[in-house]
Amino acid sequence: MSAQFEFAAAPKARTPYFVVSPRRVLSEILSKGWVESTVPFVAFLCVIFGVGLTSHGYFTIDNLRNLALYGSDGGLVVLALFVVVAAGGIDLSVGSNFAMSAFAALYCFHVLNLPVPIVLAASLASGAAVGVVNGALAGLAGCGALLTTLGTMITVRGVYTLASQGQLVAISSSARTDEVWDWIGSERVLGVPVNFWALILVAVAVLVMFRQSRFGWHVLAVGGNRKAARHGGIRVKATIFLAYTLGGVIVGLAGFLYAARENAVASDTGVGMEFFALTALVVGLGGFVPGRGSTVAVLIGFATIYILNNALLNAGLRGDFVQLAMGAILIVILSIDTKFRKHKHRLLASTYVDPVAFEVDAVAGAKGLLPGEIAAKLAGADILAAGLIDGPEDVILDADDHLFCGTRDGRLVRIAAPGYDEVETFAQIGGRPLGLALDREGRILVCVAGMGLVRVDRQRQVELLTDQTQRSLFTIQDDTTIRMADDLDVAPDGTIYFSDATKRYDIESWGLDLLEGRPNGRLLSWDPKTRKTRTVCDNLVFPNGVCLTHDGRHLLVASTWTCSLLIFDLADMRAGPRVFVHGLPGYPDNVNRASDGGYWIALAGMRNPVTDLAMRFPGVRRRMTRAVAPTHWLFGNLNIGGVLKIDAAGRVVDAYWDEPGGPLYMITSMREHKGALYLGGVTNNKIGRIRLAAADPSWTGPASYWGKAER
Amino acid sequence: MTLEGVLGPNNRLEEARGVPVEAPEAVSVGADGRLLFSSGAAVFALRKWGEAPQAFAQFERPVTALCSSPGGLVAVGTLGGALRVCDESGLTVKGWAAPELAAVADALFLSEDELAVVDHGYTADEPLLSVAPWDDAARGKLVALRRDGAPRVLAGGLHCPMGLARDGGGALIVTEFERARIVDSSGETRQAGYPGYLGRLRKTASGYLMTCLSRRDPLVEFLKTEKGFVDAMKATIPPRYWIGPRIHPEFSPDFPIELGATRLFGAIKPWAPSFSYGLVIELSDALMPVGSAHSRADGRRHAVSDAVVWNGDLVAVSKASGELLNLGPTGAPA
Repeated sequence: MSAQFEFAAAPKARTPYFVVSPRRVLSEILSKGWVESTVPFVAFLCVIFGVGLTSHGYFTIDNLRNLALYGSDGGLVVLALFVVVAAGGIDLSVGSNFAMSAFAALYCFHVLNLPVPIVLAASLASGAAVGVVNGALAGLAGCGALLTTLGTMITVRGVYTLASQGQLVAISSSARTDEVWDWIGSERVLGVPVNFWALILVAVAVLVMFRQSRFGWHVLAVGGNRKAARHGGIRVKATIFLAYTLGGVIVGLAGFLYAARENAVASDTGVGMEFFALTALVVGLGGFVPGRGSTVAVLIGFATIYILNNALLNAGLRGDFVQLAMGAILIVILSIDTKFRKHKHRLLASTYVDPVAFEVDAVAGAKGLLPGEIAAKLAGADILAAGLIDGPEDVILDADDHLFCGTRDGRLVRIAAPGYDEVETFAQIGGRPLGLALDREGRILVCVAGMGLVRVDRQRQVELLTDQTQRSLFTIQDDTTIRMADDLDVAPDGTIYFSDATKRYDIESWGLDLLEGRPNGRLLSWDPKTRKTRTVCDNLVFPNGVCLTHDGRHLLVASTWTCSLLIFDLADMRAGPRVFVHGLPGYPDNVNRASDGGYWIALAGMRNPVTDLAMRFPGVRRRMTRAVAPTHWLFGNLNIGGVLKIDAAGRVVDAYWDEPGGPLYMITSMREHKGALYLGGVTNNKIGRIRLAAADPSWTGPASYWGKAER
Repeated sequence: MTLEGVLGPNNRLEEARGVPVEAPEAVSVGADGRLLFSSGAAVFALRKWGEAPQAFAQFERPVTALCSSPGGLVAVGTLGGALRVCDESGLTVKGWAAPELAAVADALFLSEDELAVVDHGYTADEPLLSVAPWDDAARGKLVALRRDGAPRVLAGGLHCPMGLARDGGGALIVTEFERARIVDSSGETRQAGYPGYLGRLRKTASGYLMTCLSRRDPLVEFLKTEKGFVDAMKATIPPRYWIGPRIHPEFSPDFPIELGATRLFGAIKPWAPSFSYGLVIELSDALMPVGSAHSRADGRRHAVSDAVVWNGDLVAVSKASGELLNLGPTGAPA
């Protein structure tokens, strides 16, 4: 074919540097995890301002130090309860355990005269012992957490009362002093009380545990869904047991710090503490929510309750009135939070789809070639492997004429030449295999939606090459994960170029991307030498098929919703794409080489005047996604598709259609191989084949890319 | 708009016996017991199901309505709003003046000397199915004509009336295509909320037969609230590409689909949303549905324009498949 394409003469394609949309910003912020803590945080700020305005000198350094000094052990108890609740349990015995641990510390220090480190160990052991009992009963034996810890709460309180009454005189009459003991009890480091440092350290440890550690993740999994965690192979009972034990140890530490500060215990030590801790937790988490590891939110909840309680008492209110006020304020905070969460989901659901006005170029260059205007050349196609495969989005033939395609159930299958009637699983990949390519060594490269880029060698070994790229500069939502790897091709230097069709939708809801009409996709590259993934061009409109030009110098990328083909210069990818073909009569999917120097374009569906018009009305599309069930959404006609043939300069020269009700309707891929064209469709269960009368009968794709000498 | 209960989907229309007829539109049972049916500009008569039809009458333009009187008269409406009255042998009876009508959608003899006609108001060159859903103007009317007398408008301001029947008390009731409701001559709604775009209404011994030209569609109903979009569609796109109910189930590259209508493995899902559908609803005396016959999204006997009870059998006309269908004895299916 003599036609040549002049890259520099083609119009530049518009690819924005970033997408600005208030609705998207809102929806992305709403889908962030930390939004969950908005109401507790606002409540905290209200309490701070309220207290700051009503009581003079509350937020002075001295008072803050005092608050830190007396609040730390309460904070630790909240964290202990938090760990247990995160695992799906509850611990009512924290108050009794706290008193018992404090008593253990005092007894060891004043009566037994043990050194402080041993005292600490004894205190921790005392707390852990209660935790172990709770864990053994509620976790290992499967007794109810509420009744178990109610039992230990009463029992430990009884033991504590008996023991403390017996030793109270001995403890209070002891004259032992110890530097370390006093340092822990009342000294400061960098202006902050020592026991507050302990709270900070434990809080950081819990935070890291829930974010980074295997145990922390297991705890959250068990709390979130015990059954699913068990099915996931997590040792559920052991995890719960350990969570109770860890909670007990933290309570033990709190008791120790209390003992060091107060040097005394009373009969009411720790009484009502479980309710205080539970309240703080509920305010922080916005309810009694197992399986959530928001440490910061819990600390905010604790600070809110602690300061509120403290300020009300400071203001000279009577204790019972403080309780009444606290209860009322808590109910208000919780009900606002519950409403907020409920509406947050609704708001997110109604703001996620974010359509934009979008002008598709008028149909051009295919006059006289549209369905009905020419004979339906696909009507006489051979049907291969009918009913044996599910969803061959792409098809490819290797040098030995065997046919490969991906299936909806995550397999790469081989259909053996020459009969093409036996289907064999070549490799089990997972995800949704879409585009295929062969590299120089004859290995099959697969774009897998939901996974990334995968390579299957001739020994059928599956290797995930990449599933992440660089994060875009201006995004709120982390978009490093490759969401819908769609099609690929290999440059002469071995670099793999592949499309990530949309960053916002999964394979099951890709249709929403058309309704949105925004540049949500990107072109990525993977370098085999460095094994690095790079975003070559961001903000493309549903980049789909990728094809290296015959001269190996340019890259064609189909932009499905714009009904056009873009072209990149491999020598200067930074310059961005230019428009190769525009105004196609349908939605282009994969693009592949033809034997005569031109290209084949698969049309997955046909555009039509009403859908094109709807693209100019973003409000209509947005309201439609809210008011109409998805099955009734207006869409391009995916029940008719075909194949276009273009020459090397991008002119449409031929078209292949099936009859309107024929079996080859939504064509997503086609490969020319030895004088025949093989056709695949993502919703079909068969592969079509037509003989091409004028084509070179010896031409194959692998030879076109890698020469005949290679395999 | 959902099809549930007695309106639940079945395949009665698909399974019915059928006789191919070119461009059928209306059927009527003559006074002599013959079944009259239109085929393009001709009317044929059938003595018994399975026999060859006999030519009854031939007209210049396609037939749009057909009705018979107990005394043996047959009224025939043709495209463009013309009306002719024939006797039992098919010869034109003189004296029935043709009033000024845009179209004759349906007709009914009130007596041997008086005829009621519904005019939906759309001329022959306006594709009614495309246009009517997006038209707010109520151009339809119900007209009574007497032999040798001036026409009398019984009701105006009807929105695309398509069918006409007498209720149990003898009052005239009219189906409105796009409003999917039945109104009487005073314009009062008798029953609304049917799941289809309504066609003709025929009195039977136990109630009524009502045909639907298509199923009502949530997308079309939604777009009716999008005035800007619809105005742009009307202004820039030829009516044949407009979204709306259709006669034929065929796919066209010029016409959109609804997302759920995507074929799987090449097959059309029977439950897929579709712009064409075959539906006949049996109504009680109180106009409540008591039975239905369907041709679903994967069927071809869509756009049922008329149905009558003939010799105890339900006979319907499918415009999409070009067939006269015999569904067997009437009555709600078991």
